[in-house]
Amino acid sequence: MRKSLPLLLLFAVGCSSSGADADLQYIKQARSLGAEWALVNEHSNRGHVPRIYVHSMHRWLRQNLQTAAKSLTRPDSRYGEEIRALLAQPDDAAPNELRAHVAMLKQIEDSLESA
Amino acid sequence: MTPDSPIKLVSELLDLPLLDSEGKYCGIVDDVEFSGDAGKILELKALLVGPGAYERRLPGWAFWLVRKIAGDRLTRVPMDRVRTIGAVVKLECAGRDLGLHRDETRVGKWIPRKGAL
Amino acid sequence: MNPLELTLGIMTAVGGFVDISELVFAAKAGSTFGYALIWVFAVGTIGIVVFSEMSGRVAIAAKQPVFNLMRHRLGIKLGLLTLVASVISNLITCAAEVGGVALILNYLTGAPYLPMAAAMTVVMIVSIWVLPFEWIERVYGLLGLVMLVFAAALVAIHPPWDKIAGGFVPHIPAGLSTKELLTFAYFSVAILSAVMFPYEVYFYSSGGIEEGWAPKDMLKNRITSIVGMGLGSLLAIAILANSAQLFGPVNVDPEIPGTAAMQAAIPFGKWGLILALLGMFFAVSGAAVETCMANAYSIAQFFGWMWGRHKKPWEAPRFTLTWIVLFALALLIVLSGVDVMTLVEFAILFSILVLPLTYLPLLLLAGDKKYMREHVNGPLAKALGWLYFAIITAAALAALPLYFLTSGGNG
Repeated sequence: MRKSLPLLLLFAVGCSSSGADADLQYIKQARSLGAEWALVNEHSNRGHVPRIYVHSMHRWLRQNLQTAAKSLTRPDSRYGEEIRALLAQPDDAAPNELRAHVAMLKQIEDSLESA
Repeated sequence: MTPDSPIKLVSELLDLPLLDSEGKYCGIVDDVEFSGDAGKILELKALLVGPGAYERRLPGWAFWLVRKIAGDRLTRVPMDRVRTIGAVVKLECAGRDLGLHRDETRVGKWIPRKGAL
Repeated sequence: MNPLELTLGIMTAVGGFVDISELVFAAKAGSTFGYALIWVFAVGTIGIVVFSEMSGRVAIAAKQPVFNLMRHRLGIKLGLLTLVASVISNLITCAAEVGGVALILNYLTGAPYLPMAAAMTVVMIVSIWVLPFEWIERVYGLLGLVMLVFAAALVAIHPPWDKIAGGFVPHIPAGLSTKELLTFAYFSVAILSAVMFPYEVYFYSSGGIEEGWAPKDMLKNRITSIVGMGLGSLLAIAILANSAQLFGPVNVDPEIPGTAAMQAAIPFGKWGLILALLGMFFAVSGAAVETCMANAYSIAQFFGWMWGRHKKPWEAPRFTLTWIVLFALALLIVLSGVDVMTLVEFAILFSILVLPLTYLPLLLLAGDKKYMREHVNGPLAKALGWLYFAIITAAALAALPLYFLTSGGNG
């Protein structure tokens, strides 16, 4: 037990952060997923990517966003709202619209990281 | 090295591969058997091949795991069937004469003999 | 030395270098830290070159595969521990590759993910059954060369080559917060793990015996290791650099593997994307086959079974049954619903934890004159071998704490 104590402590530190800190990884994931979505739509609009790929990517991006949203410890926070707003977008949402939500999430992410 | 020479069991014999008289790979020297008694000269009597030989070399839980994966069959290779011991152990006879390919033959019945280039 | 054979060997090594873990971590490393982690790829590549060359030399000099010799040199207890650890690590890696292949097929064709995982497992089993060893290696390795589209994409986007060159110089970016430093450290450990996966060495050394390498092939072994893996690593670095240039500025840290293909779509359009996905498909399928066979080699060699794809499947029945069962187990893991990215994370973690156990026996064997005779490790191989053993041991000790402190690199 004594030999594994440092490891257990590290594990506890990793798991027991406060709400916003614990949610930081999901905020980052949602930010990136939104940005990936915007990138795919931008190039889909330019005819750079096949429809099958776009359809697949939309499905996987949305699924991952839903997982990130469900994992939040503070779903009613500002960032929780932004992620829900992102999820409410249609698959073929305008890239600028998606990037507006991404920018908000990035702001929240940066402020949490510098805190 | 011949079977009559002095030998370091662990570094020069245990876990060496076996090749039969046809050059076919026959397994690994998993353990050894001695003849003799307390107070008498010990001589190598046989090589033991097969996962059944691990029982004395592994802790109980580890042997349980090995038995689940590889079974516990044991084959004796008398020392008079051993020609030389070097980087590999070379046998005087074919491996099938000693029953060294029994498991492969048994499992082989499940493998279809077609389709491979 | 046959120049055609040597060229084919090198090209096979290049096409077979990148797998799903390298793809994922190269893309994330580039978008998160720009060009700053290029040197870690270079360090890891030198490591895998050192140990691959060693494992090939051991196979040639001792005419036995690494796992046979490992048992003899280390004894059955430590040999069994190494076997269990590497089988678990390789099985998780194989599952990540099988899931990766199914995902890529989904991006390419829209076909459903889980049925594709099952279908592709069957295809890969059939390919190993039907093709002789040389063809297995060549088909997957050479088709993986389609990944060169990522290198072409890098040239097409006119990146800052001076910054890329600067990335090869070991350094830690200035001005990182403590959290960012820890994340940088985690990525370094993950990249080392992805580049130096244990299965690569087992497959390479057993492959040398499958192909009947003899002392005259020592130079071929050396050139294939150095040139093949060196060039292959440049592909991974191209993915990193593309990500730094294209993804970082738009806040993309690829969360799903399909995003990596956008690196070729941006400069080349539709056909660039299709080629990127095809390259990923062949590279990741090849990695699935390699991880499965590496595990089957290890198990068969440890227990003294007949082994090798230079034999017909029915001539090495227990070996045949083993790789089929291993593929089925990998598929079961995928069918359980575990996300591919999670499998990649676990594969990376398990791999780095078992790396010291994998490479120490190889280092001891290659330095043992009794087995190696005149081909024993020279001063350079010895020095590099022990240096890398120290590096991977330090990485193994740091891996778990860094994983928890950085939430798996997510900050």
